[in-house]
Amino acid sequence: MKIKQSIAVFTTFAIACGALLCMSAIGQTSAKLTDPEIASVAVTANQIDIQYAQIAKKKSKNADVLKFAETMAKDHQSVIDKAVALVTKLGVTPKDNATTKSFLAGATKTKAMLNAKNGNAFNKAYIDNEVAYHKAAINEVENVLIKDASNSELKSLLQSALPLFKTHLAHAEMVAKEFNK
Amino acid sequence: MANTYSILKNRAYLLCFIFLVGSCTSTPEQKVQKEETAAHKVYNVDIKEMKFQPAELTVQKGDTVIWTNHDIVTHDVTEEKNKLWTSGPLAPGQSWSLVVDKSADYYCSIHVVMKGKLIVE
Repeated sequence: MKIKQSIAVFTTFAIACGALLCMSAIGQTSAKLTDPEIASVAVTANQIDIQYAQIAKKKSKNADVLKFAETMAKDHQSVIDKAVALVTKLGVTPKDNATTKSFLAGATKTKAMLNAKNGNAFNKAYIDNEVAYHKAAINEVENVLIKDASNSELKSLLQSALPLFKTHLAHAEMVAKEFNK
Repeated sequence: MANTYSILKNRAYLLCFIFLVGSCTSTPEQKVQKEETAAHKVYNVDIKEMKFQPAELTVQKGDTVIWTNHDIVTHDVTEEKNKLWTSGPLAPGQSWSLVVDKSADYYCSIHVVMKGKLIVE
């Protein structure tokens, strides 16, 4: 049992480290992102978390996990709506880039991993991934997207999304305690 | 005939006077109530950057607190321990008010880590 728990803790830690290393590598090596690229990253990152939430709503029966997933789906949709309204107003067309592709590649693997699990193993995997994903997203928004954004309204939208993602992280960490006792 | 008209006119003036005086005065009870209402204060709590600002507020019983959502997502304001009161969903830009009668810990039931406190002195 203890060995099983240790493996689970190590796996979660490895996923989280991998995500963080991947994001920080992108931040450090990529050239400065343009506003259309930033818009693409912002919309994609939010869409991915909605997709994770949809999987959770389908597979979980845990009240705290379901409530968290519901909040993620609604909040990230609100951010997408704001971003789409802004790019429409500015006449900017979101443009795919290495960061967007990296997010999408990570999401494909994560969705496959989540879909392969059930019961409490799923709940734990989902919520641990939410902790890691929000840490990576916060790092990306704080250290790359806000710094690179040229348009003041786009910068302001990213700045207003940052406390939202930090609150999501605190919420995810709170729910994760239930599955990491 | 002219005399009768004059008497009726004077009575009409008198009735108007009595009505006006009556509507401008109030009983002592009504007076106390008005003063109490005037003495109660109105406080504002901003829901901003995923926080209740101020997070802790000291008020007198009967004071009104107005919460306004300045964030980009929906919040609510809910009494934490027994769910005695709740604003229901507050979309961005919406406000909700409560006449406070006792101290309470409250939170946003959508973002459960957002917490606030009302202290009635």
